[in-house]
Amino acid sequence: MSLAPVLLACLPAILLLAATFFLPIISTLRLSFSEWPGVGEVKWVGLKKYSELVVNPDFHSSIKVTIIFSILSTIGVMVTALLMGLAASRKRRSDEPLRAIWFLPAIAPATAMAVFWTISVQPEIGIVTQLLGKIGLGKDSAWLAEPSTALYVVIAVSIWASASFPFLLIVGAIDRIDPEVLEAAKVDGAGEWQQNRFFILPLIQPVLVMVTVLQFIWSFNGFSLIWAMTRGGPVDSTSVLSIFQYKQAFMFGDFGTASAVGVLGTIFLLTLGMLSLRLAKSRSAIQ
Amino acid sequence: MRLSSILGRGSWGLYRIFITLIILFPFFFIILLSFKSMLDIYINPLSLNPDWAPENFKEAWGGPPGGTGFSVYSKNSAIVVLVALPISGAVGAVAAYFTTLLSPSLRKKFMAIPLLATMLPSIVLLLPFFQIFNALGVLSNPAALGLLYAGLCLPVTILVLHAFFLEFPRELLEAAALDGLGIYRTFSKIVVRLSFAPLLAITLLNIIWVWGETQIGLVLLQAPGSQTIPVGILTFSNALKANPGPIFAGLTLATIPLALIYLVFHRVINRGITMGGVIR
Repeated sequence: MSLAPVLLACLPAILLLAATFFLPIISTLRLSFSEWPGVGEVKWVGLKKYSELVVNPDFHSSIKVTIIFSILSTIGVMVTALLMGLAASRKRRSDEPLRAIWFLPAIAPATAMAVFWTISVQPEIGIVTQLLGKIGLGKDSAWLAEPSTALYVVIAVSIWASASFPFLLIVGAIDRIDPEVLEAAKVDGAGEWQQNRFFILPLIQPVLVMVTVLQFIWSFNGFSLIWAMTRGGPVDSTSVLSIFQYKQAFMFGDFGTASAVGVLGTIFLLTLGMLSLRLAKSRSAIQ
Repeated sequence: MRLSSILGRGSWGLYRIFITLIILFPFFFIILLSFKSMLDIYINPLSLNPDWAPENFKEAWGGPPGGTGFSVYSKNSAIVVLVALPISGAVGAVAAYFTTLLSPSLRKKFMAIPLLATMLPSIVLLLPFFQIFNALGVLSNPAALGLLYAGLCLPVTILVLHAFFLEFPRELLEAAALDGLGIYRTFSKIVVRLSFAPLLAITLLNIIWVWGETQIGLVLLQAPGSQTIPVGILTFSNALKANPGPIFAGLTLATIPLALIYLVFHRVINRGITMGGVIR
């Protein structure tokens, strides 16, 4: 097949992708070297925005919150999703409806779920607070209004909301395992735990590594759920980088700083993604 | 081996019930609380016997006095979906199919483009989007946002459909060529007509994504009358802080129809997700 007719057919897609993704990226890069309050002309200021970030304490605290949030959320999500994946691959008739129900959190709009959980952890009227009160965990506690606990509430909700997607990918990987392998393991007397540990886990390891990296990237970029629950508060205790950026641009009118944070974040994530995928590849090559 | 006794057969069953309950918990209480009056929610949020307050839905649909409600948000979400889906579907399907005709090495190079696009965080795209929408005077315009969403849906549309089209039976294409059908006619007369399931899968996946997209909508739809459901939920629940009944009614309207659509089509949708590899 010659290239010309294919290129012609792909032209609309190429133009649309360029307009939506590749031109904006260049534009953000340019904005990060500029002073722009959201209206008027864009003024070139060189590296000023980057050097200001180095000494900005709010930026430092945002980095810390983002790292705590994305590491704890990713660990929680992956452990939950793996257990869910193993539990929904039992070769029972209930596997299929179970998989459908367990994917619902990935379907529901994140803000709707965030609003629900936010009301649920309010003191007195919140149903989660009431349930916790029944087992003796202060029903007057304002879990989300307390700077020391708010981040952990948000992490817990993010695990609830985010585990379903990796779960489905893990289930897909388990389904692709040759049933004869597990059959042979069973014949050789491998118990259930040994089957999981020595057969299923090593066989789905490449998928697990890839999904963990992607989940970390998604958590790192997470915005909607946190914004809907806390707007970054109380006292910036849940202000991750994406919220710091949003506020810089759309509340304080500093698009240059917001763009600089975006550029740094993108470089960090792309490097991390490439490094870990390369590492995973070389490790599986050794095995 | 103690672990095997902990993770043995009986406990898998218990674990399955436990996870199912936690997953269904919000959906159950959103529906239950949407039928409760304010008084009932404040006094008895956990009681399973609501005092039936259907006016919650009336207020959620019409909005608080002087504000906007879900009738407006649903209309805007519908506009966005109706603009975004046909464009991304048509443009994406064409690109996804014709790239399968390339040699394998060239094909992989082409497919790296949409793959790279899915990895970009939306916040770095958002600032220029705002700049352009502002310059063109289309802030708070759901149809313009729909066009943008068409572009944002495109990478996943191409990746998922490409995976499906790779499995399209070659014999049919060869037979069409023997009959003198050109490559464009083969696509429109044969491939599209025999690809109902993948096209349905990607349409549903895109509806789910567009229905929930918040971060970009929040910035580009500032007038409450222009907001889509996920953005509107935030405006609405802020305006009604003291009266949770209508908020729960709104959450019911935002989640339950979508959840039902998913449960009906879950096989098609899940296949789309696992085939396209990793999407979001």
